[in-house]
Amino acid sequence: MAEAAGYVPEYCRKDTLVLGCGNVLLGDDGFGPQVIAYLQSHYPLPEDVALLDVGTGVQGVLLDLALSQQKPRRLVLVDVLDRGQPPGTIATLRVDSLPPGRGGDFFPHLSPTSSLLRELEKLAGVEVVLLTVQSPGLPQEVHPGLSAPVLEAVPRACELIARSFFSHA
Amino acid sequence: MKQIILQPVTRIEGHAKVTIQLDDQGNVADTRVNVVELRGFEKFCVGRPVEELPRIVPRICGVCPWAHHLASSKACDAVFGVEIPPVAKKLRELAYMGHFIHSHVLHFFVLSGPDFVMGPGADYTVRNVIGIAQKVPDIARQVLRARFLGQMMTQVLGGKAIHPDVSVPGGWSKPVTKEEVVKLKEMAKECLDFATFAMNFAKKDIFPQYLEVVKSYAPISTGFLGMVQDGALNLYDGNLRMMTADGKYEDFPGERYMDYIAEHVEPWTYLKFPYLKKAGGFSMALDKPVGIYRTNSLARINVCDRIPTPQAQAELEEFRKNFGRPAQLTLLYHWARLIELLYAAERAVELLADPGITDPNTRKTVSPRAARGVGVVEAPRGTLIHDYETDEKGLVKDVNIIVGTTHNNAAINMSVKKAAQDLIKNGKYDQGLLNLVEMAIRAYDPCLSCATHELDGRIPVRVNIVNHAGETVANLVD
Repeated sequence: MAEAAGYVPEYCRKDTLVLGCGNVLLGDDGFGPQVIAYLQSHYPLPEDVALLDVGTGVQGVLLDLALSQQKPRRLVLVDVLDRGQPPGTIATLRVDSLPPGRGGDFFPHLSPTSSLLRELEKLAGVEVVLLTVQSPGLPQEVHPGLSAPVLEAVPRACELIARSFFSHA
Repeated sequence: MKQIILQPVTRIEGHAKVTIQLDDQGNVADTRVNVVELRGFEKFCVGRPVEELPRIVPRICGVCPWAHHLASSKACDAVFGVEIPPVAKKLRELAYMGHFIHSHVLHFFVLSGPDFVMGPGADYTVRNVIGIAQKVPDIARQVLRARFLGQMMTQVLGGKAIHPDVSVPGGWSKPVTKEEVVKLKEMAKECLDFATFAMNFAKKDIFPQYLEVVKSYAPISTGFLGMVQDGALNLYDGNLRMMTADGKYEDFPGERYMDYIAEHVEPWTYLKFPYLKKAGGFSMALDKPVGIYRTNSLARINVCDRIPTPQAQAELEEFRKNFGRPAQLTLLYHWARLIELLYAAERAVELLADPGITDPNTRKTVSPRAARGVGVVEAPRGTLIHDYETDEKGLVKDVNIIVGTTHNNAAINMSVKKAAQDLIKNGKYDQGLLNLVEMAIRAYDPCLSCATHELDGRIPVRVNIVNHAGETVANLVD
């Protein structure tokens, strides 16, 4: 089998996988990818951690994780989420704190689905952590670049990730 | 008069909203499907070096990045006036077959499959991926394995699968090694085994069970648009073929798309409605549509004379024996998708058997010039057109992109209207009905990721019933 021959992506074999989610073309939606880029350029990456800028393709990575015989012990999703907080507020959430529902399952292309995250945690035993930031608002048209409060939150989010999940940092 | 609104709530309001307008008797008077596309991308491109676009456009969509990547590369080839090396064409097509395998497996089994495996009327709590996995665990394992392999093929060829940058104006930046070909052959063969299994499984266990649903569900009659090469199915290269509902067709090179396709605008949506220019007008009237055509799998299977790989050709012949040409039933998109899955796997095996695939001369140099270039591929979700114009420095002056979902905009609206008319009588409807209406949209596999994504899962489908004065008289949530 191909998997036995070494075709499992490296990120499946790590202890911790950090996924930066969002569209860099849409303002603060690019927070997740920006955090990944900042981590890559400012922190030594421990051997047991993988960083991945998944853009708007996170659903595929989650399904691949569900498939793989090897999975990370912990999955960290970095994303922008409207929780009614002051702009730039960072929050660390668990999947159970998300409301139940079929979000994103109506179409394949709205992702990640909270239900898939729940299943990864409950059925596959992967610890799922959500690291989110509050945006003052997303643009309605293509407009790359983060707002000032969200840009300011990037190094704070990276420090939090490194302190919490980079055991050698 | 009442309105029923099906609306997944996302951060950008109206991401995909279905409004069903009822008359005074409670029957469907009209429907509108609002799909919000990524706006402002063309403007964003202006002034940039055109060679940057193939690596920017995969950011438009995390679901079909390879389609945008390759259509953009082809448009750049045309802008620079370069004929790429033969091996570059082969590598682009090979990677694309991996992407098609990855995408079609996902759609048939994971996204639309639950409608059939679990039954169209099943409650959502079992009509999902986990539902399938629990009902048919062995199949679920194989499904996810094949999808994984398709993705890995693109990764071996391109270094990364999600935001590819390996295809460049003038060719392909990374030759494939003999060692990698050995790995890829193993992957492609396993994908072909799975595609063969999937077709046999669907014909034995799924399609017969729902054949009556397929035959009776929301029938509409339209034309079709797809790519052919010498009349045969091709997903990467060839001429476009526009077929009218009577089966007559005309072939034309992609760069002449504006001679054949016009765009209609409705005041209630930003998304345009492309239509066949020669029809002389545009109408979505169910009994007498004018200018409407469809793209995506069923369209491609309809417009081609043949499929140049043996197993897929045999399936095409059986399909045509059962449903004719052109086949019009909307749910046949799923069947057509499995024929294409077979083709993609067979074609991957074929390309890897070509000894020229390891030729290291994968790229030609290019020089900027003032020109217009059009690149067309068949994306999993329909014909994808990238049209660029540059100045003498190679900077972008104008960009026009037509994606598969846009081609299907009119047909999606018609299918939803037909489904709603058949399912809502005298004001009677229920939650099961909502899924049956959504099925009409899912058949087309519309791509909506361009706009945003959603994390919190809050009440994504909402039914509002509004009276003629605009007052909400009922509010149902899923």
